[in-house]
Amino acid sequence: MNKLPLLFTGILIAFGASWLGLVAYPVSNLGHLQPLDDEDTAGYFPPSVSGLAVAGQKVYASAGCVYCHSQQVRLDPTSTDIAKKLGVRQTVPRDYIREKTAFLGKRRIGQDLSNVGARISDANALHQYLYEPATVTPWGKMPSYRYLYKTTKVVSQPSADAIQGLKGPHAPPAGYEVIPTEDAKALVAYLLSLNKNYPLPESPEPTAK
Amino acid sequence: MNLPSHSSDHEDTEVRTLSNEARAIIDASTRGPVLLFLGSSIFWLVIGSLLKLLADWQLTIPALMDCAALFTYGRTEPAQSNVMIYGWASTAAFGTGLWVTARLSRIPLLHSKLLISAGIIWNLGVMLGTAGILIGDGNAIPGLDFPGYASPILLIAYSLIATWIIITLNYREPGPLYVSQWFLFAGFLCFPWLYATANVLLVWNPIQASAQGPIACWFLENLTNLWLAPVAIGTIFYIVPKVISRPIASPSLSVLGFWTLIVFASWTGLSNLVGGPVPAWMMSAGVAASIMAIIPVLSIVLNLHLTLHGNYAAMSWSPTLRFTVFGLYGFLFSGVLATLLALPAFNAVLQFSDVIAGASLLSLYGFVSMTFFGAIYYIVPRLINAEWPCVQLIRWHFWFALSGLLLAFSCLLLGGLLQGFSQYDVASTFRSSIEFVAPFRLMTALSTGLLVLAHLSFALLFVLMLLKTGKSQSGPALLNEPTENSLETLAV
Repeated sequence: MNKLPLLFTGILIAFGASWLGLVAYPVSNLGHLQPLDDEDTAGYFPPSVSGLAVAGQKVYASAGCVYCHSQQVRLDPTSTDIAKKLGVRQTVPRDYIREKTAFLGKRRIGQDLSNVGARISDANALHQYLYEPATVTPWGKMPSYRYLYKTTKVVSQPSADAIQGLKGPHAPPAGYEVIPTEDAKALVAYLLSLNKNYPLPESPEPTAK
Repeated sequence: MNLPSHSSDHEDTEVRTLSNEARAIIDASTRGPVLLFLGSSIFWLVIGSLLKLLADWQLTIPALMDCAALFTYGRTEPAQSNVMIYGWASTAAFGTGLWVTARLSRIPLLHSKLLISAGIIWNLGVMLGTAGILIGDGNAIPGLDFPGYASPILLIAYSLIATWIIITLNYREPGPLYVSQWFLFAGFLCFPWLYATANVLLVWNPIQASAQGPIACWFLENLTNLWLAPVAIGTIFYIVPKVISRPIASPSLSVLGFWTLIVFASWTGLSNLVGGPVPAWMMSAGVAASIMAIIPVLSIVLNLHLTLHGNYAAMSWSPTLRFTVFGLYGFLFSGVLATLLALPAFNAVLQFSDVIAGASLLSLYGFVSMTFFGAIYYIVPRLINAEWPCVQLIRWHFWFALSGLLLAFSCLLLGGLLQGFSQYDVASTFRSSIEFVAPFRLMTALSTGLLVLAHLSFALLFVLMLLKTGKSQSGPALLNEPTENSLETLAV
């Protein structure tokens, strides 16, 4: 312990072991997963997502959604994630191959979003929730993402994009409408694409109890 | 693990004393860079705790500042945690590490002006990274949020700082390496390894997301376990024997603590992904390593406890020892908590609850920050040849910090338990988990206010110190009169 080179070698070996196991191993074994063929529909699992949804991942990262929302359904029966209907099966590495960053999350201040697209299919409902969460769920802790929307004056006829059904304190006054920005549209497309209800052989659905 | 023979026991365990002249030369060489690092770390501490105050209040009042994209929770939360890690804790680790290394190597820092530029570059990097998170360029990877254009700046500044540390260690006055030097060396080697690996694979040229989970966990956990923790422990091993003038109790425990920390703690990250999308063997390895990681915690704390035994009374008057010993016990409790949380039974219930936030508060604040507070109280008077000007501010700093920490931790623990059980219970709705934890989050936000007061007192004290208002004072700033039966000469 009195020679710097010896100390250096010791640290290199000890810490290098964890680097090999937890960095090099995943890079070589999990870093090149391919989607699987689906014999019934001639599609792929996980299915490919739209370009807009891919752009939405950037908005999801930029808004810091991951600090309140996890995206992982844990193993059954150790956890109760599946019993609580966060998903029909455990999420596995292959589920994330369409993502740029794995938004696994550390806290569930809000709901898990692994399968939010399976629970909600209405884009307007998501836009409304992002715009005025406190009106939809007064008990929730989500801030409003009004900065992703523009309130504009209705010119001649209402825009097809305008959010319907806003009724909170930030609802547009008569003659005005709330239009999602490109970022908001991308974010909602991404959220709608989050649906892992396709089968993967490595993650069978647990049998009903 | 081979325990070396202890023929040189005495030198291994005792911080050798320097002549006053040699000490003055070394301190003169470290003065500029160390004061820059410590001063800017305190600046970031204040900024970080203000951001944390805002983020904590936003969990109670979600509408707070939601008109400004810059200050929504999804940005204030990563901004505060990254400012705390890179702006405060890492910058304080540089200052402390440089000073302790120069003192223990018994040679002055050469060309220390270059280190000042490294310090300026580092601070610019932290500033750019924080601004990047707030304007929405963050990576959304906990602990690694600084955008890809800020992290190279940090790495450049870091490589300069680490080069100085290693050169100083290598050209030290011939003699054995003291235990603090092992820990500092390990920390300064592991940080660039961690930070460069994580940036290359997750930020600059991200690999397929299917492989990112284990790497992100390995990085985040080791940022504390193998960067901040070794530097803080090395600092405790230097300061405790100095303040109470006693050698380290057991050289064998030092060796055991050091190697088990590196071997086991480096694998603990994956215990945060139990049941998640990673291979089963990784989860098992993570849980096993987290259980084994109790060995370094217990051996290091036991060693320092045996050293301190009979001298704990000095905590009542020495601010350095008071903060440092609380840091040491913060290390003990956060280590025990980390091991408990890794056990599958606890993990399944608490993995996504506020208990996790409590655990990271305990390790980053209760352990690392408390230790660096103690170190700053020790180092700065020696660098500027003046005593701390205002004992009242030290008291405020200590009591606000301790009460804020204990209150925030208890709230996160209790609220997190309720929240965790509610999230685990199949019959309970998600709404009830939110409602159970809400009052505890309010209390946490209030206690963060106490931490802000503590840090403002500390920053004010540091500024007064730089203005040298305490120069006229005759003796060191003691919190209380030393008890009469204490015969030790005290280094405060």
